[in-house]
Amino acid sequence: MTNCIEIQGLCKQYDQFQLEDITFTVPGGSIVGLIGENGAGKTTTLKSILGLVHPDGGAIALFDGAPDAAARQEIGLVLDDCFFHDTLRPKDVDAILAPIYQNWDSALFAAYLQKFSLPERKYIKEFSRGMKVKLSLAAALSHSPKLLILDEATSGLDPVVRDEILDEFLAFVSDDDHAILISSHIISDLEKVADYIAYIHQGTLILFERKDAILEYYGRLACTRQQLAEVVPEDLLRVKKSNFTCEGLVENRSAFQRKYPSLLVEPISLEEIMVFFGKGEPA
Amino acid sequence: MRGLVLKDILVLRKGLRTYAIFLLFYLILSLIGAFHLSMCVAMGQVILMMLPISAFSYDEMAKWNLYAAALPGGRRALVKGRYHFTLLISILVSVYNLFLSVLFSILGKASMEECLLTVLVSLLLGLVMVSFMIPINFKLGPERARPYLYLVLGIPCLLVFLLYKIGGSRLSQIPEPTSAQLIAIACVFLAVALCGLYLSYFISCRIMEHKEF
Repeated sequence: MTNCIEIQGLCKQYDQFQLEDITFTVPGGSIVGLIGENGAGKTTTLKSILGLVHPDGGAIALFDGAPDAAARQEIGLVLDDCFFHDTLRPKDVDAILAPIYQNWDSALFAAYLQKFSLPERKYIKEFSRGMKVKLSLAAALSHSPKLLILDEATSGLDPVVRDEILDEFLAFVSDDDHAILISSHIISDLEKVADYIAYIHQGTLILFERKDAILEYYGRLACTRQQLAEVVPEDLLRVKKSNFTCEGLVENRSAFQRKYPSLLVEPISLEEIMVFFGKGEPA
Repeated sequence: MRGLVLKDILVLRKGLRTYAIFLLFYLILSLIGAFHLSMCVAMGQVILMMLPISAFSYDEMAKWNLYAAALPGGRRALVKGRYHFTLLISILVSVYNLFLSVLFSILGKASMEECLLTVLVSLLLGLVMVSFMIPINFKLGPERARPYLYLVLGIPCLLVFLLYKIGGSRLSQIPEPTSAQLIAIACVFLAVALCGLYLSYFISCRIMEHKEF
């Protein structure tokens, strides 16, 4: 099993934002969920992988090689917008992309259109948001790529369509050579399908781990201010304080519980972890 | 790259159909004597200038460039596709204009030399305009590039007007060249314009290489 993406020390400097030392991998056969607040650097990371922005430092390898044209032949792309013009129809998309991708399969594209109930001859301007995402996904899958890069692909979709699309993702990574890097604000989707979570906060990667490990080890401490004062600050990653209660983010739930048996530590969701980093403060 | 040219044709197909109707309309009016042949030819050049610029507008609306730059061909194929589309339109417009020239000379409405000269000069002007406008559109986008279109169109007109005003009397002393000489000069300028289009392509490539999406 090879890595589909390897990012090492990726840096990108903007006037008011800096992406710093991003390092993570997307192993074959896995789905990596990229999470973070708006403006945290998720899209900049994805754009760097796709060569749409020029990184100031670091290295990106695709399929153990350079991110060149050959590597891009193996990538399927679904971004938050549908990039196909309103005046086009799905059958036009087929005609346009067929000469671009060496492995483009028109029959497969037609099969996806049928599977997603997309009319071949209807203009894209008449499509709903869900239909546009499905069309982008059909276009992304019809050249048999090894890697899918998805940026907010499921946002704005109803739960039924999202579920349908998530099933497609799971079917895609059933092959060990395939992988998906998906950025999303819908954390529940990632909790369903992701194998790894990469969390970018204010331009810095603060967490890259197996999702199951995160959910198993991380915990939320709920306590009073007095109880919080008894906890060694190094044992908490972040804290949130209100007038009556305090909460703390714990990295190793069971170890913390052994050390502080009188305190209550509960399992925590990815969304709660994000809120801790977004709204909380250092312990 | 073939896919990107096809994309331009498919996106602009409604506009292409409308322009084809316009051309037919102008042709009929010219044949019945309402217009001079040069109006038909000029219409063809308007199409040559407007279609690549319209393609930029459609691409911006769809945010196409971001997607296209991430495709296997990358930024260079994106630029190449637009220039090939422009060349394709130039060839089609030229073929149509040559057809008009032959038709009008057979019908005795204009001399073949005069028709050819009109076709060459208008093609030359069309190519010069797009050579300037395509890199500006890649750099600034169609909205911000629009004022430059007026500049690119206006400056040559102003220069011709000033030349006429300042050196009018001297210009009249120059012996009038023959049609054959004018055609030869126009061919040389056309070759220069094609080189200019090639240079324009490299400038556009450079602009896109540095662009961040």
